[in-house]
Amino acid sequence: MPVGVLSLAWRNLWRQRRRSLTSLGAVALVVCLSLLYYSIGGAAVNSMYRNLTEAGGQVQVHVQGYRDLRDFSDGLIRDASQVEATVRAQAGSGVVVGVLDVPGLLIHGDRSRAVALSGRDWPAALQATYLRQNPLEGTFVRSGDDTGIVLGRGLATALDVGIGDEVVMYAPGTEGFGAGSYTVTGLVDVLDPSAASRTALVSLAAAQSLAAQDAVSHIEVHFPDIRRLQDDAVTSAVAERVQGALPGLSVESWRELSPTLVRILDSLRPVMAIVSVIFFVLAGLLVVNSIYLGMVERIREFGVLMSLGASGRRVMGLITLESVLLCAAGAAVGVAIGLPLVGLMARGFTIPGLEQYYASFGMDPMFYASIQPGEIAFAILFALATGVLAALWPASIASRLEPVEAMRFTA
Amino acid sequence: MSLYRIENLTKRYRTGEVETLALRGVDLTIEEGEFTAVAGPSGSGKSTLLHLMGALDEPSGGEVYLNGTRIDTLGKREAARMRLANLGFVFQAYNLIPVLTALENAAFVLELRGMSRREREERARRALDDLGMAAYADRRPNQLSGGQQQRVAVARALAAEPKIILADEPTANLDSETGHALIELMRHLNREHSVTFVFSTHDPRLLDSVDRIVRLEDGQVAGEERRTQA
Repeated sequence: MPVGVLSLAWRNLWRQRRRSLTSLGAVALVVCLSLLYYSIGGAAVNSMYRNLTEAGGQVQVHVQGYRDLRDFSDGLIRDASQVEATVRAQAGSGVVVGVLDVPGLLIHGDRSRAVALSGRDWPAALQATYLRQNPLEGTFVRSGDDTGIVLGRGLATALDVGIGDEVVMYAPGTEGFGAGSYTVTGLVDVLDPSAASRTALVSLAAAQSLAAQDAVSHIEVHFPDIRRLQDDAVTSAVAERVQGALPGLSVESWRELSPTLVRILDSLRPVMAIVSVIFFVLAGLLVVNSIYLGMVERIREFGVLMSLGASGRRVMGLITLESVLLCAAGAAVGVAIGLPLVGLMARGFTIPGLEQYYASFGMDPMFYASIQPGEIAFAILFALATGVLAALWPASIASRLEPVEAMRFTA
Repeated sequence: MSLYRIENLTKRYRTGEVETLALRGVDLTIEEGEFTAVAGPSGSGKSTLLHLMGALDEPSGGEVYLNGTRIDTLGKREAARMRLANLGFVFQAYNLIPVLTALENAAFVLELRGMSRREREERARRALDDLGMAAYADRRPNQLSGGQQQRVAVARALAAEPKIILADEPTANLDSETGHALIELMRHLNREHSVTFVFSTHDPRLLDSVDRIVRLEDGQVAGEERRTQA
């Protein structure tokens, strides 16, 4: 069958098999590395997102201007049950949790430590996540339990208490009893070493008895099934709805709650794109070399094509097509190798040496590779663009050849 | 109207300080259906004349008309279009595209013209058949002898059904028997298909079979001879 221009370009590529394979391999390597790089970046982004939202939920409700308030009472949301019910009505499938943080002194015998006692009830999904990251010895906080307390192991060590021991919480300046006695029911190995010496968990009822009846310091809305940033399509809508229902309170999404981390998150993808561009430029240089040498070796042939009636544009198109085909083949190989690797890494991996570092921020050191279709498309499009750009110079030279001079040319 | 009309054609080449006058005021006409040889010793300007007739190069002076249209002043793109529409080329060194089969080479110009796949296959096969190369349609140039490659090159020129085929020393690289067979074949095509052929050559076998010989010496027409072939 007569050949089409695509087939001709493809055959031309394999005239110098080794050279083309080297360039194809370079493009494949860059595409594969880019996919791995994006997926690791995606894993880091999702890890940050997960750690942020698992700790404090996707949306939080506080009193207005709560960051500047100094007095304990000023920061309380009153009629908490009613407000929680309003939030729940707007939160859809979200899990709504009221939290009362009580600053005070935890005392055992002659030892004492300043803590922020966290009073909350733990819906099953949130409890499972918390205990997966912070292994528990003993019994966890039970809803409505007025006397049980769970301590971080570091705090328990500092107070020299174990399971079954009594501790006393002294919370001056609050509105409840201001003091209470609790039995240690469990110890948690908190990931974050600094948090380990401050963690003290009780039920919401216990905290309210101690510090403020039917009040919370904030309300969290969790969507425990959303574990990846790209799946979070609900946060802003829920925040808007809750804010609409509670105009006197401050409603913030996780993005507003952690602006510094969000800035890091937002800058990750552009940084990845820039590094990826550098990869492609390096691979592009190899492709330029390959296409240019191929062009020089075939100058006579281009002279013949032109004398037969091929225009300069046609010759330019042929060379560009060869370059794009080379890069497309490289991209196909890169994707074929890269995607299964990403699939393997999506099952979860840790970065050796970084486990402790992540733990020091109270973050789960397990990463789950994640890549979005747009990123795969980006890598492929960039490979194709590399093909076009790499061909520009040699193709432009070839298109300006004079047929007679080209046919006399000897490489 | 003459197929080609060439008036006072000159071509200078400059290499550094040295200027060479390859053509010095050539006047020539070619009629439709002619089987013409441009003969002369090496360096007489034969190839240069053919290149200028094909608008492959720009003359230093003079005019070239094809079918009454001036072609020596065409831009590169227009010249390429004109060649594609009107001319076929056969080169001394065959100049087939090495990655294409004989059939694909023969069909290549048709592909440049944007012809449908079916039509270009039909025409390329017919051209190969006319040249006795049908059995070698699927072979690549490196699987063909020199004579076979040159036949494919003629088939490539012929498949496009051009008004004129310009052939630059087509038998120079062929042995006597192969060269003779090729000449017979081209003569046959000239008679059967009324294709106009203009050769540059100093091959006496080729000169014996042409209708007309234009002799070039030092870039000038030194004489002309017309023959009647049996």
